[in-house]
Amino acid sequence: MIDILSIILNTCPLFIAYQIASIGHSVVEKSGVLNLAIDGLFVLAISVSFMQAVYSGNDILSSILLSIVVTLLIGLFIVFISTKLPVSQGAIGLSIMFICYGLAGILGVPARSHQGSTGLKIGFNIQQNIVYSTIALVLTILLTILIHVIIEKTKLGIAIRACGENPLHAEALGVNVLRIRLIAGAIGYGLIGLSAGLFELLYSRLWREGHGMGHGWIVLAISLSSGRNPLLCLATTFLFSTLYEYRFSLLVFGIPREFIETLPYIVAILSMIIYKTTPLGEKLKPPQYLGKPYFKEERTI
Amino acid sequence: MSIKNSNFFSKQPFLVAKGVSKTFSTIKALDKVDFNIYSGQIHGLLGENGSGKSTLVKILYGIYTPDEGEIYINNKRVYITSPSVAIKNGIVLVSQTPILIDKFTIVENMLMSLKQYSLLTKSKTIYSFLTDFFNKIGLKIDPNTEVYKLSYTEKQFVEIFRAILLNAKILLLDEVTTFLPSSEKKKLYSLFKELVKTGRSIVLITHKISDALEICDYLTILRRGRVVLNTPCSGISIDYIRKNMFGETDYINSKIHVEPVSNKLVLKTENIWVRGGSGEYRVKGVSIYLRKGEVLGIAGVTGNGQIELLEAIYGLKKIEKGRVFIENTDVTNKDTGFIRKIGIGFIPDDPIKYGLSIENNIVENYALMETNSFLINWSLFEKNAREYIDKYNITTPDVYYPVKLLSGGNLMKVLISRELEYSSKILIACNLTRGLDEYTKYLVKKLIYEKTKNGLSVIFTSDDLDDVLEFSSRILVMNSGIVVGEFSANNVNRDEVEKLMVM
Amino acid sequence: MISINIAIVKRKKPLPKWLIPLLSLISGILTSLLILYVVSHGSINPLDVLIAIGNSITQPNLLLKNYAMLLVIGCGLLISFKAAIWNIGGEGQFYFAVIGAAWFALYSGLAEIPIINKFLMIALGLTTALIWILIAALIRGYIGLDEVPVTLLMNYIAYNIVDYLVNNHWREQVYRYTRTPTIPVETWFTNIPFTNATLELLLITLVTILLTWIILNYTYIGLFIRTMGSNPNVLKTIGVDVSKTIIYVLIISGLLIGLAGVSYLAGDTHLISSPVIAHTPYYGYTGILVAWLSLLELKYLFVTTYIVSALINAGINIQIVGVGGASIVNLMIGSILLTYTILFVFHEYSVKIIIKK
Repeated sequence: MIDILSIILNTCPLFIAYQIASIGHSVVEKSGVLNLAIDGLFVLAISVSFMQAVYSGNDILSSILLSIVVTLLIGLFIVFISTKLPVSQGAIGLSIMFICYGLAGILGVPARSHQGSTGLKIGFNIQQNIVYSTIALVLTILLTILIHVIIEKTKLGIAIRACGENPLHAEALGVNVLRIRLIAGAIGYGLIGLSAGLFELLYSRLWREGHGMGHGWIVLAISLSSGRNPLLCLATTFLFSTLYEYRFSLLVFGIPREFIETLPYIVAILSMIIYKTTPLGEKLKPPQYLGKPYFKEERTI
Repeated sequence: MSIKNSNFFSKQPFLVAKGVSKTFSTIKALDKVDFNIYSGQIHGLLGENGSGKSTLVKILYGIYTPDEGEIYINNKRVYITSPSVAIKNGIVLVSQTPILIDKFTIVENMLMSLKQYSLLTKSKTIYSFLTDFFNKIGLKIDPNTEVYKLSYTEKQFVEIFRAILLNAKILLLDEVTTFLPSSEKKKLYSLFKELVKTGRSIVLITHKISDALEICDYLTILRRGRVVLNTPCSGISIDYIRKNMFGETDYINSKIHVEPVSNKLVLKTENIWVRGGSGEYRVKGVSIYLRKGEVLGIAGVTGNGQIELLEAIYGLKKIEKGRVFIENTDVTNKDTGFIRKIGIGFIPDDPIKYGLSIENNIVENYALMETNSFLINWSLFEKNAREYIDKYNITTPDVYYPVKLLSGGNLMKVLISRELEYSSKILIACNLTRGLDEYTKYLVKKLIYEKTKNGLSVIFTSDDLDDVLEFSSRILVMNSGIVVGEFSANNVNRDEVEKLMVM
Repeated sequence: MISINIAIVKRKKPLPKWLIPLLSLISGILTSLLILYVVSHGSINPLDVLIAIGNSITQPNLLLKNYAMLLVIGCGLLISFKAAIWNIGGEGQFYFAVIGAAWFALYSGLAEIPIINKFLMIALGLTTALIWILIAALIRGYIGLDEVPVTLLMNYIAYNIVDYLVNNHWREQVYRYTRTPTIPVETWFTNIPFTNATLELLLITLVTILLTWIILNYTYIGLFIRTMGSNPNVLKTIGVDVSKTIIYVLIISGLLIGLAGVSYLAGDTHLISSPVIAHTPYYGYTGILVAWLSLLELKYLFVTTYIVSALINAGINIQIVGVGGASIVNLMIGSILLTYTILFVFHEYSVKIIIKK
């Protein structure tokens, strides 16, 4: 018998992590900045919040805060470089991804052995707690609606979307593209950092080298196949978080464990293909200038 | 003609541009131009292709910075380094290509420009205010409409209203009336008259002399980057203006007339309609034909649909209505590969972006002539390269010289040589003579004629009217998306052509 | 009020091209060293690292295997990147070739036929690699999805497929360790004495370099590759089917990487261990660095591969309490790539800082 309530409860922490991350990723990309570094940032932020939790005696607040700060700093750097210089945004994203993978391991391993010697349990389990889970879910949904309203209905949101659709026209219309993209980056990367902290401290509550790899790509797939629309992400996030959380229940059907591990990735690719090849992709096109260099030449002062 | 302040020099000009010059690599777009704008005046800026009028207003709007010259507003020196600085000084540009973002609504586009609203302002805040404003002006559009749904005219109106909302003291309007039907034009003119009553100024760039004389108070004519005439509009004839725009050219009918090899039709278009980049139709029902061995030139001011027509024939632009036939084969909307295989060559309007592979060398670019085999026959293309370099007088130290290091003219020569040598049935050329010196033009003409004797047909445009007249065996004139005149080389009258271009 | 404005202006004369990889290597390595020093609370002495790198560089016989493997993969990626198609799925294509080769060696029954067996093994490995890359190629060519997330996700899927085979059907039965049985000796590549490389690998490397050179310089697809990287619009104007071209490019890229995969099985490990993610030599990713740093020019590839192989060897030898070699290598790859991407801008542009009152 499938108990809906316990499904929702169990999936809750992963759901809110995925949802907040995909909102953040969507905001960043809506401003025209390609965010291929997401998997690296996610992994690094997870490692950083783990590290802080271990060294601070499981201070959840400071751990999540540190995670946000680290992601913000790197993210704003990405935005600045991508907008100010005629660089390949894809290359920036990938190289930062590698750096983050490396840093995550280098920072996390000593913390892990420290944890091993102290035996400290980190994180906070909300999976069986109805009250906390409900609060978390409600807050996440409110956040989703808030971001959606900002992006769709306010001047800031219009400016952010304009930077993604056509930054040259946006500039002609009076938008300071760098300033707006930095604001979008602050919101977006802040949310990504928050989600990683929540993932680590509310959901996985353990760490080993390489922990978290792949989830960033799931978030990218969620965001892309939902047309970078926070409200639609709710549905896609629900799909992926339940799939991931309950994937091993498919073992009863005789599906080998390894194939089950591939399922989130296969579904991610399929959802992106479905998005691209159906009317969904027509209605919710990606920002036209996503990843394109904004740089204009004619400035001979 | 409008009757405005009879004494134009009684008050100080609002904006003074003194000695403005601008050079783009080798082309001097503006040469020590003086330009004064008075409040309450509609000031026409006229000139043919390459005269520098667009460059001048872009400098005033901060898109370009001048190499030399000064700009004063109310006697104070200003440095207009970007559009936002221009807007702060009360100068707003509305150009032929709308800057509105199609996906967004009118409200959203406007909100971005209005500095007085904070970032968290909701779009519905300005909705009612915009609706009132539109009603007052007589514009029946819901501000919540997405811009891509608007007609080209409506987009222009919206941009002009944006300028008003931005408290523009000077509205720079670059060819905004070019594609408007006359009923819409009249609407716009009455709006202009209203605007200048309150002391605003309008600078109207147009190539249509009659439009300018109808609405402007004062005219400035540029030719090849220099001011050739400043005059009030009263009592001036169209012919006088035209002579100043085009100059006294010694047009020598060079007598190498090309009679078509046969009357066989090699290309035919039936009432084709093609859209431009902003959604409006740039080609409005054009039916033309091309005979075997004929050189057909299309004269017209830049931006009147010539390029879109040629691109559509070659398969690069969608033909919304109508059909195209190449030797009885219907090629309407077939892909470019198919059309090229028939033996059709193409010289694009932007040679660097679409014609030549800029990171490769000359021989490699010639190798692109033949794309159906697996291995490249380098010795063949090297041989061809040497032959063409000689034949087309291309200046390069080596056949393996990277194309991006060539001068603009030589670049064009490589492209022209490749396409001319490739074409077996038709050569389609956008802006055939761009960047070519006199000798090369003569060479290209000679080589084209040789090929036409063997059955090649050519259809081309050029920004330089002289070239169109000299190269063609038959001439069409395009204006605002339709063909307005046809001449054969032995009975073409230059004055007539000019008139049709600017009517 | 002082305003600081940063203007990026095109240089009249571009800086020498080779300066960029050189500077990137230096600054990338220095950045990594700095980070390592700080993060390890001073226990990692930069000097030790530099000595380790120095040792690596001066022992070519120990570098030969990595050098050859990275050259092969570097060629495959160079072809793809030159066309501005980012094949990040090298790991997946590598391991799918391993699958094909392993099946042949272990279960085809033909593995013991002398000489022919190696050719057949390579053929099978290339076939499985082809199937894998074809999926990504069709998704990118016909559907138009960005190849970076797709190929990356496919890497994870590939790892798991290999794990499945190794843990179940192909698991060695003697001790039930999570690995395949060792492939028959007849299929092993021949080791070159005093080095860690094999004869067949060297042959494959030579063939790869030759093929790459021929493709890039003597075929139309090579010309299209070189054109697509800067001017995809030109191809469209010439009437070339860009989608088909993209697919062909990815196939070539995947097949070359597949060659490296077969060599890895037959010349290096002689078996597959699971979980793959813990045992992979990571060439699919280090190859990216190698290809990029070479400015996508075959002639520079020889140099960058040498340096990167030395770095990897040094990196793996640096021990930080329990941190796997992968993290160090990732840090180095990322730092060098990042500095390269940014420095590349300065080859064509210069930065002017304008301070106005």
